[in-house]
Amino acid sequence: MKQILHFLFWLLLAVVAIALTIVLGERGAWYFAWVLGTVMIVLIAAAGTAIIDARYDESHDDHY
Amino acid sequence: MDPYVLLKVTWWVLLGVLLIGLAVMVGMDMGVGAALRYLGRTDGERRAVINMIAPHWDGNQVWFILGGGAVFAAWPTIYATAFSGLYVVMLVLLWSMIVRPLGFEYRSKLPGERWRGAWDWMLFISGAVPMIVFGAAMGNMLEGVPFHFSWNMVSYYTGSFISLFNPFAVLCGVMALALALYQGGAMVMNRGTGVIRERACRLLTIAGLVALAVFSLCGIWVTLMHGYEITAGGDPAGPALPLNKTVETAAGAWLANYTAHPALWLVPASVYLAVLGGIAAARAGLSHLAWWLGALAWAATLVTLGAAMFPFLMPSSSEPSHSLTVWDASSSLGTLGWMLAFTAVFIPIIGIYTSWAFWVMRGKVTPESIAHDEHAY
Amino acid sequence: MQELDTVIELSRLQFAATALYHYLFVPLTLGFSVLLATMETIYVITGRDIYRQMTHFWSKLFAINFALGVATGLTMEFEFGTNWSTYSHFVGDIFGAPLAIEGLMAFFLESTFVGLMLFGWGKLSRGKHLLVTYMVALGSNLSALWILIANGYMQKPTGSAFNPDTMRMELTSLPDLIFSPEAQAKFVHTSIAGYVTAAIFVLGISAFYLLRRRHIELAKRSFRVAALFGVFASIGVISLGDALGFINGGAQPTKLAAMEGLWETAEAPAGFNLIAWPNQEEQRNDFEVQIPYLLTPLVTHTFDESIPGVNDLVAEAETRIRNGIPALSALQTLRENPTDAQARATFEAHQDDLGYALLVQRYVEDVSQATDAQIAKAAADTIPPVAPVFWSFRVMVATAFLMMAFLILAVIFSLRGTLHRHNWFLRLAPWMIPVPFIANEAGWVVAELGRQPWTVYGQLPTWLSASTHSVGYMIFSLTGFVLLYSLFIVVEMYLMVKFIRLGPSEGKHDAHADSVRQQHSSQWSEA
Repeated sequence: MKQILHFLFWLLLAVVAIALTIVLGERGAWYFAWVLGTVMIVLIAAAGTAIIDARYDESHDDHY
Repeated sequence: MDPYVLLKVTWWVLLGVLLIGLAVMVGMDMGVGAALRYLGRTDGERRAVINMIAPHWDGNQVWFILGGGAVFAAWPTIYATAFSGLYVVMLVLLWSMIVRPLGFEYRSKLPGERWRGAWDWMLFISGAVPMIVFGAAMGNMLEGVPFHFSWNMVSYYTGSFISLFNPFAVLCGVMALALALYQGGAMVMNRGTGVIRERACRLLTIAGLVALAVFSLCGIWVTLMHGYEITAGGDPAGPALPLNKTVETAAGAWLANYTAHPALWLVPASVYLAVLGGIAAARAGLSHLAWWLGALAWAATLVTLGAAMFPFLMPSSSEPSHSLTVWDASSSLGTLGWMLAFTAVFIPIIGIYTSWAFWVMRGKVTPESIAHDEHAY
Repeated sequence: MQELDTVIELSRLQFAATALYHYLFVPLTLGFSVLLATMETIYVITGRDIYRQMTHFWSKLFAINFALGVATGLTMEFEFGTNWSTYSHFVGDIFGAPLAIEGLMAFFLESTFVGLMLFGWGKLSRGKHLLVTYMVALGSNLSALWILIANGYMQKPTGSAFNPDTMRMELTSLPDLIFSPEAQAKFVHTSIAGYVTAAIFVLGISAFYLLRRRHIELAKRSFRVAALFGVFASIGVISLGDALGFINGGAQPTKLAAMEGLWETAEAPAGFNLIAWPNQEEQRNDFEVQIPYLLTPLVTHTFDESIPGVNDLVAEAETRIRNGIPALSALQTLRENPTDAQARATFEAHQDDLGYALLVQRYVEDVSQATDAQIAKAAADTIPPVAPVFWSFRVMVATAFLMMAFLILAVIFSLRGTLHRHNWFLRLAPWMIPVPFIANEAGWVVAELGRQPWTVYGQLPTWLSASTHSVGYMIFSLTGFVLLYSLFIVVEMYLMVKFIRLGPSEGKHDAHADSVRQQHSSQWSEA
């Protein structure tokens, strides 16, 4: 049951995203660019920071 | 019925709902702030009291901001005329309200006794003053405010600011403060224990009784004062321009709606029932019931006021024909319609996540429980 | 007239002071909320406690800033009514709507979830707490969206029409208002500028720790995330700024002329005034250093269009004033007799220039009696004060490029792991913290001072917008704001510096929170 609810939640989110894209793509190109740009900035910054731990694995070195 | 008239009346009801939401939710936090030094004697107790409302005061305050925004959008002429006419009062309200976020956020950041004592007084001022001003503003609406418009709708206020704090208005202010203290007491009873809870119960009882006494006094006063009535023009479906009607004043005119519809008398009667019932519930330990009865008392008080004044919103004492009414102070049909659509979509959503937030942060707060919590105020 | 002018100048001064003050805190909130969400995302994905500490520490500083943003925002909502009542009546039907929607859609979201974000650490699972933080970020940026839609209307009125029966502008299309290019460009530019502000704030403080060799693990990760976050944002803010300039320049040629110090219409290819000393009285630049050919492609995005200068704009304004005068006279007739068909026809024929007739009403009550000299004076008024707009614009652009260069260096040093070899950079970084704030304030000045003499461009002049207060009232309120706001900034800076010096409480584990977390994370994996 819980899995079905989770699935439905994400499904709903996907539908909202598609609807938003259609509306914004038509008239709000800049708003759309903001949404995409923000997601991109967040993901790149997060990934770029997480690799610190992948590289050094709780490093005890003095390099930063 | 003409859709424009329907929308105007709907927004009059929504204005009432907003004022009630504001009075209950913000009033509760302000009551807690105003009574902080009574409810908590030691710093630990005071921190416990503050942390009972800490997660929610900011969300509750949005009722106030939304109230301002909704008046601007749905009743722009009221927003423009009332805010500028009551200039000094509005500034006092504003200044006392803007120290409140800082009081909550900054008070417990530093340990010093003088630092915290100073912020305690700030919280007292920012709790008591806005509620008095809120009540006084309502009182002034009943009495009428001296303003008029030029042909191009530039508004002129011709009274002094001291006259806004006349005896009747101050009495209404005391009423508002008493109900806020009642509501704050109920909130602290909900989330507090031991001696704090006992003090809150005492506060609630006294504040409730004072509120009833003042309410009775105000009621008698209103039956004697000059009310307003539209004698010519004032087409409900007409354009939103408050210059095309004739208004006269008469003693006791504010009771006209009650005389026409005697069932309305149930509304002021329910103020008494709600407060007395609430006090009894609180003393029996049913503080949640007392909270809801307090909210009902607020609602009934504001409905009593609205029912007396309808269709007036802000009468002018110096130029009665320029008074602002439901029919001629609203937005255009388009704006009212769009705003109703947004309200219908977002109010339920807000209701869901606000309830969720209260549910997550439920539970008792004691001086011991926050002593080790590094996230607390 | 003298008294009126003083009241208007004081009202403008008060609004500018309170808005600029409010705008010290807003951009940081906009960007910081998104940056916090980014940090917490890393925590939830990697599960490493250092990122929880990091999010937690920075959210304390966020809260100190947030409180003042909320407090001073209240002032702004009041001020339209208290000090600009004629404005509020004139465009309240349009302007009020985005403000109310802002309350419904953004403030409730932001304020409800900020409480959970700060107090819900021990009570929410990791995933739910992350969701809460994202809601705070979404809420604060949505509130920027709606206020900038409202501001976009002041810059370029769309989706509205004047209704002579109610004596005000009324909404004709909400979608036109929401999707106006002006509002869109303003929102993206402002929001991303907030991202840069937060990035440089976090970078500066992290560098301070690295330099002192304190909290190294936390600081180097904070440095990395802020540098990457900021570098993309700074590139975005500059390109979006260009887009905003292009859109706004088309809508408000007077602002564009002031920004570029163009007294004469610039035929292509025009030179860009890198430095100039504009002289408003003599309508020329006392001194200028130009880069040849640059201005035309920069402003028009073509190589052959000309850019109107002050001389042509004033001439055009004079024509519009003369065309608008019959509209204002007809409107007055209509007020006395709403059924006068001839007056209505006259009004409709000239109503596009009604706002221009209101400009000349400042000098003569009955505009049909306006002399040529009065009309010329009103036409000259349509040019905003050139020197401050020109210079604010240059300060904004120069600081933007400075920040971009700084952030590129920060990313390079951080990714190569060579920060410890560049102590000069670490020492410089804290001094960069004020720079984005200066850029933000300068941007506000360009946008709002450059819009003068209008509150609603082309529709309502500033001189007519203010409430009819006495000078005494204005001095009273101005004094109150100065006293209160000075006290606030002292307290805020004191707390901010104190908590920065104190630093994060490293390794201090909250036993209760840990147990709740484990409990929740096991639930999470079961699900």
